[in-house]
Parts: sequence; C-alpha cells; structure tokens
Amino acid sequence: MDFGYNEENERFRQEIKDFLKANVSPEFHAEVQEMQGKGMGPLTKELIIKIGEQGWIGMSWPEEYGGRNADRIDQYIFEEELVRARVPLNIGNFIEQAPAIMAAGSEEQKKYFIPALVRGEVTFALGYTEPSGGTDLGSLKTRAVADGDDFVINGQKTFTSMAESASHIYLMARTDPNAPKHGGISIFLVPMNTPGITIHPQWTLAGGRTNDVFFDDVRVPKTTMLGEENRGWYIGSSALNLGRAGAMRYYTYVSLFEETLDFARSDPLGQQLMNDEASRDKMAELYCEAQVARLFTLRSLSMVRRGINPPYEISSEKVWGPEFQVKSTEVISQILGPYNQLWEGSSLAPHQGAFPRHYVSAMVSTFGHGSTQVMRNAIARRGLELPRGPV
Amino acid sequence: MDTLLNEDEELLRDQARAFLAAESPPSLVRKVEDEGKGFDADLWRKTAELGWLGITLPEACGGTSAPFSHLGLLFEEIGRSIAPIPIHPTMVAALAINEFGSPQLVETILPAVIEGEKLLSWAWFEQGGDIDLDSIQLEAQVQGDSLVLSGSKLFVEGFSDADQCLVVCRSQANSTGSVGITLVLVDTASEGLSSTPLPTLAGDIQHELHFDAVAVPIDNVLGEIHQAGAAAITMFERAVILNCAMIVGASRKAIEMAFEYAKGREAFGQPIGAFQAIQHMCANMVTGVDGAAILTHEALWKIAEGLPATTEISTAKAFCNDRCPAALRDGNQIHAGIAQTKEYDLQLWYRRAAAWSMRLGTSIQHRRIVAREIGIVPGQ
Repeated sequence: MDFGYNEENERFRQEIKDFLKANVSPEFHAEVQEMQGKGMGPLTKELIIKIGEQGWIGMSWPEEYGGRNADRIDQYIFEEELVRARVPLNIGNFIEQAPAIMAAGSEEQKKYFIPALVRGEVTFALGYTEPSGGTDLGSLKTRAVADGDDFVINGQKTFTSMAESASHIYLMARTDPNAPKHGGISIFLVPMNTPGITIHPQWTLAGGRTNDVFFDDVRVPKTTMLGEENRGWYIGSSALNLGRAGAMRYYTYVSLFEETLDFARSDPLGQQLMNDEASRDKMAELYCEAQVARLFTLRSLSMVRRGINPPYEISSEKVWGPEFQVKSTEVISQILGPYNQLWEGSSLAPHQGAFPRHYVSAMVSTFGHGSTQVMRNAIARRGLELPRGPV
Repeated sequence: MDTLLNEDEELLRDQARAFLAAESPPSLVRKVEDEGKGFDADLWRKTAELGWLGITLPEACGGTSAPFSHLGLLFEEIGRSIAPIPIHPTMVAALAINEFGSPQLVETILPAVIEGEKLLSWAWFEQGGDIDLDSIQLEAQVQGDSLVLSGSKLFVEGFSDADQCLVVCRSQANSTGSVGITLVLVDTASEGLSSTPLPTLAGDIQHELHFDAVAVPIDNVLGEIHQAGAAAITMFERAVILNCAMIVGASRKAIEMAFEYAKGREAFGQPIGAFQAIQHMCANMVTGVDGAAILTHEALWKIAEGLPATTEISTAKAFCNDRCPAALRDGNQIHAGIAQTKEYDLQLWYRRAAAWSMRLGTSIQHRRIVAREIGIVPGQ
C-alpha cells in the first residue's frame, strides 16, 4: 500500500495549480455563471484551447493519438485541481469517449477524434437516454437504417447535457430491431450540425440546462459508426464504466462539502453555527465520508494502473459519491436552516446564494450516468457474484 | 500512489490467513470462551514461533523491523479469524515500550514478549470512558525511588494473563490535559493492586483495576516523568488503529458468510440472493466494510511512513464503529432466525466486531478529534 504522491506528482500538481491561478479569472467564473445553458463563452473556449495546448487533456493516452503516455495518477491530479478551481469543462466526456474510440474506432476515426479531443476542438454530448428509459438503456428506440453508403437516423434523445455546445453526439441507436435488445445497437459519432437534428432546451432546478435532441431523417455516412454494427452496447458499457470513475467525478461529489467546510471555518456565520457541538459532529461525519469517496476513486485508479478491470469498485464509487453529495447538502441545509434557502440575489444569502443551488443540483448525481440502484445491482452481481433474479 | 497491497503485504496476508484458518477454527474460539480462559496458550506459542509478536520491534530483541502497516495487516487477519489470543493488549504495550522505554526496559521486556513468554496489558480508561487526557485522573506520587499509584482504571484488556500493565497516570496534582502525565509499567502482582472482572459481549473478560498505594520502581517509567502526554496519545492511537484493523477483518469475514448464505438459501422458489432487496443490502455491506478497510489502510500507511496520522486514525475509527456493526446487522438480517442462535457461527464474529466497535473511543468521541483536526472548532 502506498497512499502518497511522489515528488514528480507533487511537481505536476504545482504546475497545474500555477497554470490555473494564472488563467482562471473572476471574469471566467462570471462568464460561466452567465452563460449557463447558452453554450460556451469566449473565455471558456480560450481556456479549453490553452489547456489542450498544455497536453493535459488525455495525457495518459498513447502518444500516437496525441496523448503523452503520462501516469494516470497525474491525470487524476489534473482533474482534481481542475474541479477544485471550479473549471466546468466537462472533462468527463473526453475521458469517457476517447478510450472507446481508441478501443473500437477505425484508424481514421482515431487519427481524427483523439487529437481533436486532446486539443479541445471536439466535444461530445452523450446520446444514450431516451424518453422511454435511461436506466433500462438497452430498450432504446432510436433507429438507424442502412441506405446505400449511409444510415438514416430517426428518434429522440433526452436529458442530453451539453448538446447545445458540443461539436458531436456520441449516439446509441438501434440498427437491428429483430436482435435481442442488447444485440441490435450501434454507436455513431455524429456531428451536431448534421441536417435534421434539432435541440430543445430543458431548464433545470439548479439554473442549468439539459436538452431533448430530435433526429428527423438524419443522414450520416457509414463511416460515422464506431466499431462493428450491433456491437454498440458492449463498446458503450465499457466506456460508461470508465466514465463513472476518476477524480473529476469524485471531486464533483465532494467539492460542495469542501466549499462548505471552508465556509464553516472562515465565514463569520459559518463559525457561529459551529458553536453547536451537534453541527460540528455532523461536519466531521461528512469529512470522514468524503475521505471514503476519495479513497474509492484512488482504489479504482490503482486497479486500472495495474491492468485490472475493476469488477465492482467503480460502481461503488458511483454509489458512495452521489449519495454522499446528496447527504452532504441535506446535512448542511439543516445546519444553515433558513439561510440555506436564500437564493442568489437575496441580501442575506451566505456564500453568494450557492447553498440552495447545491441542494437541488445534488439530486442529479444519484441518477445521472446510471442510478445508484443499478450500481448496487452491479456490485452485488458482478462483485459479489450473487445470482441474477428474474428481473 | 497505489492503494492496493504490494507483493510483500499480500504474502503476509495470505500466510496469516492460511495459518489462522487452520489453527484458529470456530471450535477453538468457542472452547476458549466457554472455559472462561483469556486465550489459547498453544495458539499463542505458535504465534510467537511465526515471529508475529516481533513485527516492527527491534531485531536486537528478536523482532523484525517491518513497517507498521504489516502489523496492521496481521491484525486484520487476526480479526478475521477472531483468534483467541491477547495480541492487541500485548502489542500495544510492547510498541510503547519500544518507542518510549529506556534501553533497560526494552532489553528486559521485549525479548520475552517476542518469545511469547511475557504477556502485557495497558490501562487508559477511567470513570466515564473518555478518550482525552483530561480523563486521566489516576494519581501517581513520587516517593523516593518509587511512584505510588492510587485510583482506578476501567476496561483493561488481557489483564488477568498479563505479567505487566502499562498504566497512564497523572503524576502532578491539579494538572490538566497532557501536562503531568506519566506512563509507567506496573507488575500485575504488585501489592495493593486488585482487580474486578468485567465480562463482555465479545466473550472476553476486561478488568477494573484498583490501585491502593501501589508502589512502582521509578525506573519503570517510560520516557520523562510528568511529560508522557504525547507518548500516551501515541500509544492510544496505535491501539485505536490496530483495533480498527481487527474490526475490519472480523466484519469482512462475517459479511462474506452472509453473501454465501444468500447464494444458497432459497425462498419463494429462488436463492434469496437473487432478490434485489437482498442484493442492495449486500452492496451496502461490502461498501461499508471496504470504506472502513481503506480508511484503516491509509492511516496504517501514514504511521508506517512516520507522517502525522491523528486525523486519519480517528476518521477510520469513527467510520469503523458506525459502519462495520451496521454491515453485520445486515448480515444478521439476511440470515434471519438462525443469526440469533448460539449454535450458528456467525454470532461469534458479530459479538466481537460489535464489542470492539464500542472500545477505544466512540464514533462521537473520534469525530470530535476529527472536527478539531480539520479546524471545525467552537468559540471563534
């Protein structure tokens, strides 16, 4: 066991911190706030390009695809510091789709997408969930029908975050309606500007945006298919597993608590509330649980670095982290009481009114990217080898 | 950074697990408990022969200078097998003697401990069961070449079989906190020292100690007299994290028993483990114990590296205390009726893991330390 970072890791962390200090301004944060749901502002685009130029996106990937074979620990450090600096670049998508493209893509796709992802020029929206179901993803209905050298796509995706700003959608569609449900699905890498795609916003409680995306006779060349026809489920599920791991996700779950911890230590109201022993006990309890979120992530990372495909550990992260996030916002709301409900703009709102936003936004984590119930099934069945029942 | 065990650690774990599976079966655990014995002498001798009692202790005394994390992993396996040996109290005192004792104490005590010939215990708790140094009120007065102890200690483990007991006492009247604390090694046969047995849920016997002007040679003091506050805390922290390792080991074994039971037990025409309600309980159980294990390992590693570990130790203990017994309760629920019977082995693990989670500080007491260490303090 080794729970420490080596000198090289520490140097790299400092490099990232210095970069973020120099390049992440209050204006950037103001733009992010202002542009919520309206796509990417100029400062955000500029920052993505700069980060891409540093070679940090996909740094653990092979050099031939634009990565630099870096240690995964350094990639973890990069992600952790990025989230800590509240840079919402949706790095998760790079992490999620790139390994799938590297594993299943044609040479042409790899040569095009991977370097473009690294440079921040290509971003993916995730086209999985449909109105009929997200957790039961295998029952998706969007159809892709072969027509000469093309496929013609019809259907609807929902809860498609980033659709308004992404360059491409990583789309799961049914290519064989007669095959067993997981056997007739393929993945397509479709440019968002393809004719026939329309986007309708769905505004969220936290003030953000997700989307419905409609496909009406969207014609794409067969070369947009990722991997073999009808193998999309298997390509996608490995990417989904990896997408649930990593510092970016773990830190998203605990960063709200860390913000609150700072508030409790340094804000006069926070300090006043910490005079209550019960509140201190609750904060300490959350701290303990946050360490488990961190360590579960480092455990999966350690396994992947050793070439082990974690049978259940990534699912554990995806149960623990989201439920911690929800619990932390609930606990904090009962420490802050009426202050926790004051929205941005209220004169008495502590911490610029961030708390009620945290409170409502936390809910997404327990169902986004696979519900915690499905994750528990995976832990029990894949990890503990409990039998699969009728459902 | 690699949170998993390395090759040496895996080897140690596998060898310990195999040895204890063979040498410490539930029948032995039951026998020692039923006969009211503190431990199994034969198993203790074999443990010493394997060199386990010398891990992290000086080679000059017959020990092996392995990292502290190895000792922690060994304790995890001892917890897993609920082996009836007094290794926890003995090693807690031995570690403190090694770290803070005079060369003379080290040379006279540790070789015999490592050989398995001398058993030790240690005494911290007093009325109320607090874990902070303010709670230490056992009075010690310097009289010539002696330290004279008066007062009482509670919840002392392994006392009846121990040759000596390492006692935390207050040697300066009216002092508080870490000021005026002394650590002294007391012969258990000392005149004026009596004890009352305190049978426990775990099936072992703790003791209440009564010190009626017990004179101890001043040479038996560890480190500086009046100035052992930090040493006492270090001893206590080592005891806590080794207790965590035992809780984790016992809990792991118990939840594995429940998973196996869920696979084999049929109801409503299928194995109960195929019901999602049971599967989700199992997922929670393994997540809780995994969390306890990895927190414990991080703390063990920090101690092994000589890094400050107070926060990590109390974090691990608070989490172990809450989550491991909860996982075992779920294990009982999966077993249902049979879980309450004495005949079925699960209860041997359940009672011990539960009792261990009630020792060496509650989750509330340890969260108080965590809060302090992370800067959540009153009165700002």
